Formats: sequence, structure tokens, C-alpha cells
Amino acid sequence: MFIFSDLSRAVIDGDTEQVKSLTQEAIETGISPQEILDKGLLSGMDEVGKLFQAQEMFIPELMISAEALNAGLDMIKPLFAEESKSNKKKVVIGTVQGDVHDIGKSLVSLMLGSKGFQVNDLGIDVSPADFVSAAKASGAQCVAMSAMLTTTMPVMKKTIDALLENGLRDKVAVIVGGAPVTREFAERIGADGYAPDYLTAVETVEKLLSNFDE
Amino acid sequence: MRLTDHLEAGLGLNVFTRAQVEALHQATLTILEKTGVEIYEEEALALLKAAGAKVEGMRARIPAHLIEQALASAPSRIDIFSRQGEPAMCLEDAKIYFGTGSDTPFTNDLKSGKRRLALKEDTARAARVADALVHIDFVMSLGLSSDVLSETSDLHQFEAMLLNTGKPLIFTAHSRENMSDILEMAALAAGGPHALREKPFIILYAEPSSPLRHTREAVEKLLLAAEKRVPVIYTPAVIIGATGPVTLAGSLAVANSELLSGLVIHQLKAKGAPIIYGGGVPTMDMSTGTCTYGSPELHLCGSALAAMSRYYCLPIFGTAGCTDAMVFDQQAAFEAGYNLLMSALSGVNLIHDVGFMGSGSISSLELLVAADEGIGLVRRVVQGIDVSPETLAVDVIDKVGPGGNFITQRHTATHMRREMWFPKLFNRSNYDGWESIGAPTLGEKARAMAIDILASYTPRQLDANVKAGIAAVITAREKNWLHNGD
Repeated sequence: MFIFSDLSRAVIDGDTEQVKSLTQEAIETGISPQEILDKGLLSGMDEVGKLFQAQEMFIPELMISAEALNAGLDMIKPLFAEESKSNKKKVVIGTVQGDVHDIGKSLVSLMLGSKGFQVNDLGIDVSPADFVSAAKASGAQCVAMSAMLTTTMPVMKKTIDALLENGLRDKVAVIVGGAPVTREFAERIGADGYAPDYLTAVETVEKLLSNFDE
Repeated sequence: MRLTDHLEAGLGLNVFTRAQVEALHQATLTILEKTGVEIYEEEALALLKAAGAKVEGMRARIPAHLIEQALASAPSRIDIFSRQGEPAMCLEDAKIYFGTGSDTPFTNDLKSGKRRLALKEDTARAARVADALVHIDFVMSLGLSSDVLSETSDLHQFEAMLLNTGKPLIFTAHSRENMSDILEMAALAAGGPHALREKPFIILYAEPSSPLRHTREAVEKLLLAAEKRVPVIYTPAVIIGATGPVTLAGSLAVANSELLSGLVIHQLKAKGAPIIYGGGVPTMDMSTGTCTYGSPELHLCGSALAAMSRYYCLPIFGTAGCTDAMVFDQQAAFEAGYNLLMSALSGVNLIHDVGFMGSGSISSLELLVAADEGIGLVRRVVQGIDVSPETLAVDVIDKVGPGGNFITQRHTATHMRREMWFPKLFNRSNYDGWESIGAPTLGEKARAMAIDILASYTPRQLDANVKAGIAAVITAREKNWLHNGD
């Protein structure tokens, strides 16, 4: 009999190899991907979230757990029916042009992935044109931008302008973040959402995209 | 703690050179031989006379060889246990332990925020909070009970502490008789006089009367402590510019003279009995006349006494976590913060007065709780930087390479808890996060935490019959006092 709590524990421990082997075992036992996801992988990640809130786990452990979780997700994704896959909400994320900071952005990216979003992480130093073409190609519902420097913050505005020029602005929700970015700045450049930290970022994306259900 | 190693490596505070230490020692020997001290107790005078001191009336002039003998026979390490007999503090080298202060007439009420007279219940509450706090290692009576017979307030305070914390206690006593009662109460809690003697969890705090006077009460308690081998802190409080010269070195010479003459009396009574060096040398504020707890001079002198204790190979008692502010405000946090760090860097073994404000007149649970957080930070500082192949992490740096990040490396998760200090109260949130929880100040958070501890925390309890026995000691003393009282 497959023990779901072992899989959850492997996620909590951030043990990628163990997550992989237990997920494989679950698949071979004939357990449905939805059950593996809900009872094993995500329940482990929920526990990680609780431990993090209680300050018993910290950012590095959270990220290591998210990595382990994603290894399991990658294995069960192909098993979901085609239609449910195409229903997955897509997010294009990146650090804006001229900026090579990626820790905060990668954290948001990882966490979005762990929440079941299809994340297209464009990495760092992403030009407005690259954001536009990635959003167009994937049919994303959300563009998420990060900037760590006050000097690269204006590129966020340029990217929003580029989305507008290419007729994409009303098709995507735009969320911005990064240490120097403020709510006031986000509003001024016409972003749809702003988050001061990665936990809020995930919540904000979830909230913004709940309007894209149709 | 491996603070000694670190002190050798340079993390520490050494206010004196070796030559300065020796100059202060020589000045002290001269004072004790030439000026001498006054002692208002016959047994001590007789002991000194028999050992070769020059005794005229109550004045005793003590030759250097008696000092050297006492320094040689006093132990350099004292082990202190919890009420339950578990090892709690090892007083030696630069190991640091923190605790509350004793006998403040007032307390700042947590509910009203106003100053009021301290009650027996305040000592109990402070002991309970101190018991719950991770970085508080020993407890003194934070409050002078105003709601009990003043003749037995020391016994009531001791009872309040005994019943509300298992941590080691430093106690004050009004007299030899009351101290005997306290020893009886402590023996009941420890499981008998033998257990108390083998694994002491109490330390007597007694004071000579500066300048250069040993009162009858102080000496009687000092002698009883020696006889019963109860560890004792015989701590002068020389007030710079008032009961000592205005020069710091001069006041330190007075304090050291009182300390070493007390040490001689103690060791003559019982060679090898445990005694702890140290004291307080505060300034008198030259505008208001108050005795200061936040002044830089007090804490410089505290560091100087720590240097002397190292020279004498004696455990050391000092002061920090205290302030002259009246409420837990910016001054309170600033003063308590810097003096906690100074005393820790100086390697003071027993650091008392955490939670003292208003120049030693007011106790504050907010300050106590906030200081516990500050002590966590200070302990991280004195822990220093660990350098080894594992911590230099050359392999990990190679693996990550230029432009990568270290957050998701196992090395990070493995070492972060030892390498980093994790605050509980100090803000680390960004503005939005801080605002979302109501934009609290440190004072508000400390107050909430104190209230929460009092509402939810229960310390380990003594058996009902032990509690009854402890209460009976007080009742007997009060009956006795009322019958013979004058």
C-alpha cells in the first residue's frame, strides 16, 4: 500500500530523489495523478507553508522543498488529460532588462509552479520585446516582472507600454515586485497588481487570475 | 559557549592593560594596609586579628599576605544548579549568564502602564516570565513586596520566586535569621540540606556599605554563607563622586578594597568556600543626584571589574539590561542594548538587573522581555565567526559559481540556524508586512508577549507538601516576630 505521508514528508524534507522515487512508485501502483498531487505532494507543501509561517522553516528550506515538489509535479503532469492541461493558467515571469537579480523572482516562480501554475520563467535581463513575444506565444494570462534596482524600474513601464502596443494589455494581468518597488509606483505605471514579498505575490496572482476563469 | 577561545582570538572588551590591572591591585593593597576598613561584627574582627591583621576598635588594617592567601584559596569555578538539581550555570572564564535584578520598590503596571508600588504577586509574575524566557538564566526578586510585613518581605519574595521558577535564584536577606529561614526554604525545595549543599541553586547577594565599611548585617550573612558553603556575591556599590572618588580608577580602588577585605573575612571563616567577585560602580548624576544605571562610567567600571576578576581567577558578577528611563522608551532600549553588549563582551559571568529602570527604582516586564531578545542578539555577537573548511565553503562556492545563488544549497539550510540569529520581536518585515500586522513598536510587542506568557505559561510546580513547608517557615518567623516584636 502506498503511504502518502511518506511522499509529503519527502517534500517537507526537500529530498528530491525521494520525491521522485515515491512519485514513480505511486504512478506504478496505479494511483491517480490527482490523488498523488493532493494527498502527497501538495499536502506536504501545505505543511511547509505552515512551518514557514510558524518560523520553524526558513526561505532556503522553503525553496529546497519547492524544488523537490516541482520534480514530482514534472512526473505527474503528462498524466493529466490534455484538456485539463490547457486549462492551466499560464504566467510569464522575468527580471526586467538591465537587471540581473534573480533570487526573489525565482522564488516567486518556484512558488507559482508549486501552486499549479504553468510558469514560463524567462530568467534575468528580459527585454520588453521578449516579454511580449513570450506572452503571445504561450497565451499567458499573467506577466510578472521583477526589478531590484531603482534604475531598472522604468523598464517595467516600458514593458507595459509594449504589451499595449501589441494588443496584449487587456489579455494579461501585470504584476510587479522587487525590493525598491512600491504600491504607489505599481499604480502609477498601470500595473494590475503589486506584492511586497513572494507569499503575497502568489496570492496576488491567484486573485488576479480568478477573473480569467471564463 | 566557547567565549574564552574567542577572547583569546580578540573578540572581547579589555578596558585594562596588564599594567593597569596591577596598578589597581597595588593601590588596593596599600589602602587595605594603610587605611583599612571598618567592620561592625566581632567574629570577623577576631578572625582577622588572629590571622595577623592590625585591629584597632572596629578598624582592621589587612596586610597583603592575607589577601594573597584568600585569593589562593577561593575557587575559580562555581557550579550552580536548577531548583531540580540539573546543571544550570558554570561560573568560570568568560561564560555569560543573564538574570533579573532585585528589590525595586515600584513596578510599571502592564495593564495601566503606570508606575505603582510593587507587590508580592509582582515578584511571582516576574519569576514566571523569567522562567519562560530562553535567555534569562537566573532570577532575582523583581520587586520589593509592599503588601507583606516589611520584616519578612525577603522571605515572601523568596517564596514567590521558589514557586514560580525552577531557574537558579540570587536572593537578598534582611538579617542572619531571615537568611537561615531562606536556606531552610531552599533546602525544602531542593530535597534536603544535603542536596542544597551538593547542588546549590541559590546565591546570596549581600553588600558592604561604601566607602570601606562592613556592616554587622552584611558580615553576619557573609559568614553564614561561608559556613554553609552557600555561594555569595559580596558586592560593593561605590557611587562615583559620592561614596568614591570622582575618578573611575579611584572608585574602583575603593570597590576593590571592599571586595578583597570581604573575601579575606569569608575565606578565613571557611577556606575554599564559594565566593563571587564583582559589583556596581555607578556615577552620581551631578545635576539630579540620582545613582545611574545607564551611564557609560558604570559599564566601563563593570568591564574593569571583569578584567580584575580574570586577574584574580574569580567568577564575576555585574550589571546590564538596565536603564535610567522611566518607561520602556527609546532611551531604555538604547541603554539596555549597549550595556548588555558591553557586559557580554567583557565576559561577566552573572549579568544581573535585566528589567531595571528608573535608576533601579522600577521594574519593567516589557524591558525584561525586550532584553531577552537583545540578549539573543548579543549572544550571537560573542559567538564570533567560526572558520573551518566546512564554513569557508570553497566547494559550495565552486559549485554555485559566478552569478548563481546560495539559497537553495543544502549548505545554507544546514548551517543557517547556527550561523544566523533569528529574531522573535525585532522587526525584519518590509513596510507592507509590518503595516499589515498593525505597525507595532517593540514596546507594544514586548508588552503583548509578557501578557501572553502570564496568561498561558505554567512553570514546573513544587509538590503541595513542599509548598506548605515553605509557607510554614514564613508563618513561624512572623509569629516569632509578633510575639517578641518591638
